[in-house]
Amino acid sequence: MRLTLSLLHLFIGVMLVAIPNLTRREILFAVPVPQGFRDTDAARRAVAIFRIVVALATVLCVSALLLVPEDLLNATAAVVPLVLVAATGISFYLQNRKLAPAAVQHTRAYEAELSDAPDRLPGYWPLVFVPVLLFGAAALYLDANWDQIPERFPIHWGADGQPNRWAPRSLKGVFGPLLFGVMMSGWFTLMLFATWFGSRRTRMRSVMFGGMMAIHLMLALLFSLLGANVLLRLPPWVIALAPMTVILPIIIAMVRKMSEAGEPMDPTPNECWKAGIIYYNPNDAALFVEKREGFGYTFNFANRWVWGLLVGLAGVIAATRLVLP
Amino acid sequence: MAPPRIKFDPSSLVPAVRQIEDSLRILLVDGQLAPGTSLPSVRRLAMELGVHFNTVAEAYRLLASEGWLELAHGKPAVVMPRSVPPTPDASWAEEFRERLRGLAAQLRSKGIPADQIAAELRAVAEGISR
Repeated sequence: MRLTLSLLHLFIGVMLVAIPNLTRREILFAVPVPQGFRDTDAARRAVAIFRIVVALATVLCVSALLLVPEDLLNATAAVVPLVLVAATGISFYLQNRKLAPAAVQHTRAYEAELSDAPDRLPGYWPLVFVPVLLFGAAALYLDANWDQIPERFPIHWGADGQPNRWAPRSLKGVFGPLLFGVMMSGWFTLMLFATWFGSRRTRMRSVMFGGMMAIHLMLALLFSLLGANVLLRLPPWVIALAPMTVILPIIIAMVRKMSEAGEPMDPTPNECWKAGIIYYNPNDAALFVEKREGFGYTFNFANRWVWGLLVGLAGVIAATRLVLP
Repeated sequence: MAPPRIKFDPSSLVPAVRQIEDSLRILLVDGQLAPGTSLPSVRRLAMELGVHFNTVAEAYRLLASEGWLELAHGKPAVVMPRSVPPTPDASWAEEFRERLRGLAAQLRSKGIPADQIAAELRAVAEGISR
């Protein structure tokens, strides 16, 4: 388990080191830069400093996971991701500030079709209801085999692979994870529709909708497997990997499609971006805009509907205390 | 036939309301937006153009006040049949001249000859069908 955790964090560290490459050429540390800027000394220095900091943090974290005594492994496994995220975030922010004076404002005229024809969702949108079938099937399976459910069963495992929390055979204990999955799925359904109707000017919204749908189905599969696992008794790594096999090819295809050359940047005003990550523009009706770093969308935090979605997510997370055993 | 399109340039110094209003008026005067045509909702057009809802709503209101559009709560804006109005009093000319003067000065400052500006203006005025 110790080795698996170390390899996992090494992989995450390598991905974090690659961040400057996982974005458009005309963006560096969320700063829109002139053509050819990436070949300048300033750009190379910024990338090198970022990579050194993230690489050092990764080495530190992996070493800690390999070397700490057994009784400190769980605590170390909880702290290590935070250290990696903090080192990456701080280093990214510092390079963003350093390159900010080199920023250029990308310009492009927006175009709109003057039509009142309905804005139709992609034809496969009814897949959004598949989770209802998955959760329903899992619930029926549990109900039909109630007597075979142990009086007490594990629901959480530590970094050492050993169970560290159990639930009794009760309505909350057995159906709680499924109920949480239903709530999560409901919130994700709202996100799916918001993604489609709240990002009308982005040229990649079909790709985004497809990717979000894949994540939606993956979460439903994950939570229905988790819920039914009291009877299925699959090893935790199977449950973790099963959805990944569904989602990874779709995510890779999505990123490849979105990184295709020739798509001009969304000319959102530079002054509306905070640290290149948070978009706040009260004069823009969009709920979602293209991210300045990486691929995909981010919220327009000036839109009140976005806050509605976030409050909904907070509600789902808060409900874990009520519905999970 | 594909529905007409309008453009909005966020980097332009021309205010957003004016850009949208002018683009729509060109299509209305030119007959590309025929009477009875429904326009997209304020929310939809604002999202596509990257502006606030009020900006599109104001552009629609201005065109409605000129008799081009009919606005009703909860319904799409509809293009109205509109005959050519009688020429208004002479005050229009002063405002029009002032706007043209600014545009002409802008083009002259970029080195475009006066006769070319005049020719372009004539071509545009005659190109609009109504």
